[in-house]
Amino acid sequence: MSEEKAREQNSIPTSKVERSAKFVKTGLKVGGNYIKHYSKKLFNPNLDKTELNEDNAADIYASLSELKGSALKVAQMLSMDKNILPKAYVDKFSQSQYNAPPLSGPLIVQTFRKYFGKSPEQIYDKFNLRSTNAASIGQVHQAELNGQKLAVKIQYPGVGDSISSDLKLVKPFAFRLLGMSEKELDVYMREVEERLLEETDYELEVRRSVEFSNACANLQNIVFPTYYPQLSSKRIITMSWIDGKHLKEFLQTNPSQELRNQIGQALWDFYNFQQHELRAVHADPHPGNFLITPEGDLGIIDFGCIKEMPEDFYDPFFSLTSTNLLDNKEETIKAFRKLEMILPGDNAQQIEFYYGIYHQMISLFAKPYMVSTFDFGETGFFNELYGFGEQLSRMPEFKQARGVKHFIYVNRTNFGLYNILHELKAQVKTDTYKPHVVLEH
Amino acid sequence: MATTESIQNAYIDYVLTEGREPKSVYLFAKNNDMSEEEFYRFFGSFEAVEQSIWADFARKTITEIKTQEIWPQYSAREKALSFFYSFFELLKSSRSFAVYSIRKHPRGLSSPRVLDTFKNLFEGFADEILRDGLDSGELTDRKFFAKRYKDGLWMQFGFVLNFWINDNSAGFEKTDEAIEKGVNVTFDLFQRSPIDNLIDYGKFLVKNGNFKEKMGL
Repeated sequence: MSEEKAREQNSIPTSKVERSAKFVKTGLKVGGNYIKHYSKKLFNPNLDKTELNEDNAADIYASLSELKGSALKVAQMLSMDKNILPKAYVDKFSQSQYNAPPLSGPLIVQTFRKYFGKSPEQIYDKFNLRSTNAASIGQVHQAELNGQKLAVKIQYPGVGDSISSDLKLVKPFAFRLLGMSEKELDVYMREVEERLLEETDYELEVRRSVEFSNACANLQNIVFPTYYPQLSSKRIITMSWIDGKHLKEFLQTNPSQELRNQIGQALWDFYNFQQHELRAVHADPHPGNFLITPEGDLGIIDFGCIKEMPEDFYDPFFSLTSTNLLDNKEETIKAFRKLEMILPGDNAQQIEFYYGIYHQMISLFAKPYMVSTFDFGETGFFNELYGFGEQLSRMPEFKQARGVKHFIYVNRTNFGLYNILHELKAQVKTDTYKPHVVLEH
Repeated sequence: MATTESIQNAYIDYVLTEGREPKSVYLFAKNNDMSEEEFYRFFGSFEAVEQSIWADFARKTITEIKTQEIWPQYSAREKALSFFYSFFELLKSSRSFAVYSIRKHPRGLSSPRVLDTFKNLFEGFADEILRDGLDSGELTDRKFFAKRYKDGLWMQFGFVLNFWINDNSAGFEKTDEAIEKGVNVTFDLFQRSPIDNLIDYGKFLVKNGNFKEKMGL
């Protein structure tokens, strides 16, 4: 049994390791490009940055396309193939790019003095100048105030700027890769940029964290840190410290099926309550954003990325996932049109083709919603998903942009969720927070 | 009664309002209700006034960082970073003057003369923290080069100062980035690196150059 478990765990983490190794390699290459540029510039001061940018983009692009086959399969599928690129950006630029070296002690002191006019020692009773964890775009420090253990998140300077410039950098290569027009791609790029920039706004994050943790307060087995807005600023967030293990460490302790189900259920409820009741969702189901406490609760520690779902997306999309509407071809096609999965210019044959593929895809995605309890440990379902994604990525028909921009983050969220539940091998009651359905469009 | 400080302030006010230095010490003294002689009792020239202003920035910064509770726990690298951050934080309140004072000098390889006194103080401070770093083993003591480490820091300072003058990011955040990255790179060079190991290995090979014979080849 343990052997089987080991093998099972191998499949996903390996690809993660490979993926980050790839990003490290790209990082090195890009660094090398800068050195190349500046050493050339030393001899030719008039050299502009065109060549540098092209070198960088070529290397970034190379690593993205290498990734295309493996790690992004799942995302590929529900992202209608086209949106994988922005998805790759999301991963690349929100995680790997900011594998920045830790901030120096004096810079941390400087950041506090800039925003509060005081040093950390003057604000907290205790403050550990050495960081305990890296967050996606910052780092976390432990502190204490009035006997309360705190987590203080500090953002790296200049993150916002580099997001915009990095996205600009890769854009021309995206056109070439996808054969998409700038206008088509722009819609997706703007969506990604908007979310990423929101993530750098810590004041917004604190407001949302408070809002969401209040709204989700009644959910079972979920805990949120307490936020301290008066001790937070544009670059600093102070919250209470949650003791717990990350998913990987948690799984290493060999938790019982019961406990895994409990955590899985909490996750499912958390996401589906947000999607269907709040219509806005924590769109970053990255395992690093969760902690499993010794009491068996799920701690949620990062509200940087929130995706709001407008009605004109929510209604057609989620109606498809949960009812017999999918059996009604006419209504289904109407919904596909609303979601721009079928475009106005498509002829009868194309409509038939896309209807078939998307129908198959949505039925697959909606499987957990169609029953009252779903076993995410079942590998068959995931193999089917991967296989379908693979198949889709080879179809020439998907070399054109389809699907409204909201898919990028909604897909990322739901696939991230499915993946974590799969790693947990959780059996989940899927009818706790059901999608709201509109039967006719 | 004029004081060093009152002359400095009057001078700053004048150059920032007029955009140039006063026509003569006579005129400047007259406008500030003192005799030319009184001015000379404090400073020999307008340049000396500027030098003293810059030197005061350095003194204030050094005093301030050394009184921070965390100071004794800092490594040499962190002490240098701390100086840079605090210095540019302090300079923010006199940015207009700093920009005026540096910009009026033609850009060249040598540092502006207004920074002469400042440079002495900076180098004294750098010497002190570098010596600590060498003593503790944080930095590598290299023959000939170790004495030049402070020049490396001074160059880094000149770079950051120019960067800051041209920085228009909100809160001069880019300058923070330039300090963090620049000072760290400089200190990386002061630390033991693969090059040291390479040289060490080279020395070993030279000393044992007859190893072919030893191996009977």
